[in-house]
Amino acid sequence: MTTRTNPQGLLGLLDFGKKPDGVTILMMLGGAILAGLGLAYVFLQLFMNGHAAFNTSSNVAWGAPIAFYLFFLLTSSGLSVIASLDTVFGLKVFYPVAKRCVWLSIATLVAGFSILALEIGHPFRMLWAIPAGMQFHSPMWWMGVFYSIDLVLLCVKFYLMHTGEWHTKRAHYVSIASFTICILAPGTLGLVFGMMAMRPAWYSPVMPMYFILTGFATATAFILFITSLYEHDDKPAEEKRLYTSVLPRLFFVSLLAVIAMRFGQIITGLWSNYEGLEAHWHALRSPLFHVEIWLGFVLPAILMASESRRQYRPTQALAALLFGVGIFFARLELLIVGQVVPLFKGSFGGYAEYWPSATEWMLVPAGFGIFYVLYGAGNWLLRLSESSEQ
Amino acid sequence: MSRWGMVIDLEKCTGCQACTTACQVENNRLPGENWQDVLFYTEGEYPSGKLTWLPRPCMHCENPSCREVCPTGATFKDKDGFVLVDWDKCIGCKYCMVACPYGVRFYAEEKQPVQPDIRSVFPGNGDKMWNPPWQMPEARRDPKHGVGIQPTNVVSKCTFCYHRVSKAPAGTVDLDPSNPALRDFVPACVVTCAPSARYFGDLDTPTSEVRRLIAEKRGTRLKEETGNRPQVYYLAGEQSSIPETRSTRIKS
Repeated sequence: MTTRTNPQGLLGLLDFGKKPDGVTILMMLGGAILAGLGLAYVFLQLFMNGHAAFNTSSNVAWGAPIAFYLFFLLTSSGLSVIASLDTVFGLKVFYPVAKRCVWLSIATLVAGFSILALEIGHPFRMLWAIPAGMQFHSPMWWMGVFYSIDLVLLCVKFYLMHTGEWHTKRAHYVSIASFTICILAPGTLGLVFGMMAMRPAWYSPVMPMYFILTGFATATAFILFITSLYEHDDKPAEEKRLYTSVLPRLFFVSLLAVIAMRFGQIITGLWSNYEGLEAHWHALRSPLFHVEIWLGFVLPAILMASESRRQYRPTQALAALLFGVGIFFARLELLIVGQVVPLFKGSFGGYAEYWPSATEWMLVPAGFGIFYVLYGAGNWLLRLSESSEQ
Repeated sequence: MSRWGMVIDLEKCTGCQACTTACQVENNRLPGENWQDVLFYTEGEYPSGKLTWLPRPCMHCENPSCREVCPTGATFKDKDGFVLVDWDKCIGCKYCMVACPYGVRFYAEEKQPVQPDIRSVFPGNGDKMWNPPWQMPEARRDPKHGVGIQPTNVVSKCTFCYHRVSKAPAGTVDLDPSNPALRDFVPACVVTCAPSARYFGDLDTPTSEVRRLIAEKRGTRLKEETGNRPQVYYLAGEQSSIPETRSTRIKS
């Protein structure tokens, strides 16, 4: 494999020679409109009402924006793991999607960070206060450190792939470092919730594992959905096998693992009488819960259960999309279940009431819009279909 | 160096909420965002049901989980046992609100629990949440210790009236509000408590009044299982009880 030289600097990395296809144009235009509308609305509301535009309260301190942020960040880590299956573990069958996965990982990470910046009270102060604070005992501090390193390593990894360095020693080291970080980062994000003994519905030593696993499953759904949009007939046999057999199977297996873990959480919560776990009974009454479980997890599993259906592109797309919706609501459910039982509020409080405000919901088009624009631009200008020649 | 702590005698407390009001005025709190709240509980059913209550300030824990989770170090434990927030370092991530087992932290940049929103009448200027009609004197404000009018986008909490207590003469063990020489240094909720149900003093001095009460009247701390080790103790005696924390019921 030869390394491409790049005399024009960063601009020279962009390949303007190819015309974007219809899907890419739609993605970029639609993404720009979504991001524009979403961000305009959110900025306007934040300007007029501050963070009171969110429906969070002293009882439910973390609302939907944190759930959306979780969705994007964990998906990013999962995509990075998929990209590492070949570059770190030598599973060559994944080469055709490796570069695309790295770019998708960057795009989802940027979308997640953008949502966080709009949610947090002082985003600019955060930039100096967290590094200067050196709070080693805070899981959130480590999360910030790991995700920042993650973004840098992903960019370096993508640059090396883009300039043709797939198999050099430094590319290998970067890949190993990136893989390590993309396990540590979602794991630490899991600890942010899992270490909260005062929030029994979150408290769990397996929360990091749950975050890593669900991130990976979402990532397989993402890449399966994207590849299912294109015909595979003209592809080499090995690449065709990836799209029709390997990826759908990987998605199915990870989906089953997610279902097993999620049902474990639900059954434990419903069975236990421990204070705070009654939140699971509260969750049963939420329509979100049923969308998540039946439409988001069980139906895709049924769709993916048969070998013939797994190979059929529309089924792949539908199952991946449904799971994406399901896991999106699962993040929101997770946020609510940990906070819905108020701490020390007296007998008259009952469950804490929370439903995201319009401003919070508008972060969804904002986040997805940013993601679509970045991904569409990458698809057009950065040769994402490129694969190692080895 | 002291380790300031509070004892609340539930047999004496009448649930009048004067402490809540005093705290609000002293610390320029927005209505409903009560650093010092009195929680009401019902126990049993008619005809043997009864109403109980629990005054609940910040516990200023020995091992505060809010401090442990803070990613910037904005929440810190002072050498004299105060758990405080440096408003200049707080990024408003609200992790401390999630991690506090006692629910005593407030963001305030949210829909106000008491409507109509008083901020529409007294809108804040600069970075302040609001512009209250009575304001803590400028000289007493101390954002590095979370004292004064709460700025926007930061978390706040009860300071044990740091601006008063920290000025107490060195060597003071009991901050007794009935002593005119010390009254200005006693937390507002303790000063105002009509039935004198609150005591404030040094937990590290074996001869202090608070230590005596804890020992003789079996002082209890809330949620000991969390390991936070509050510096606020409750005396339940025979006539009162510490109500359960749960406000919801399974399958209710």
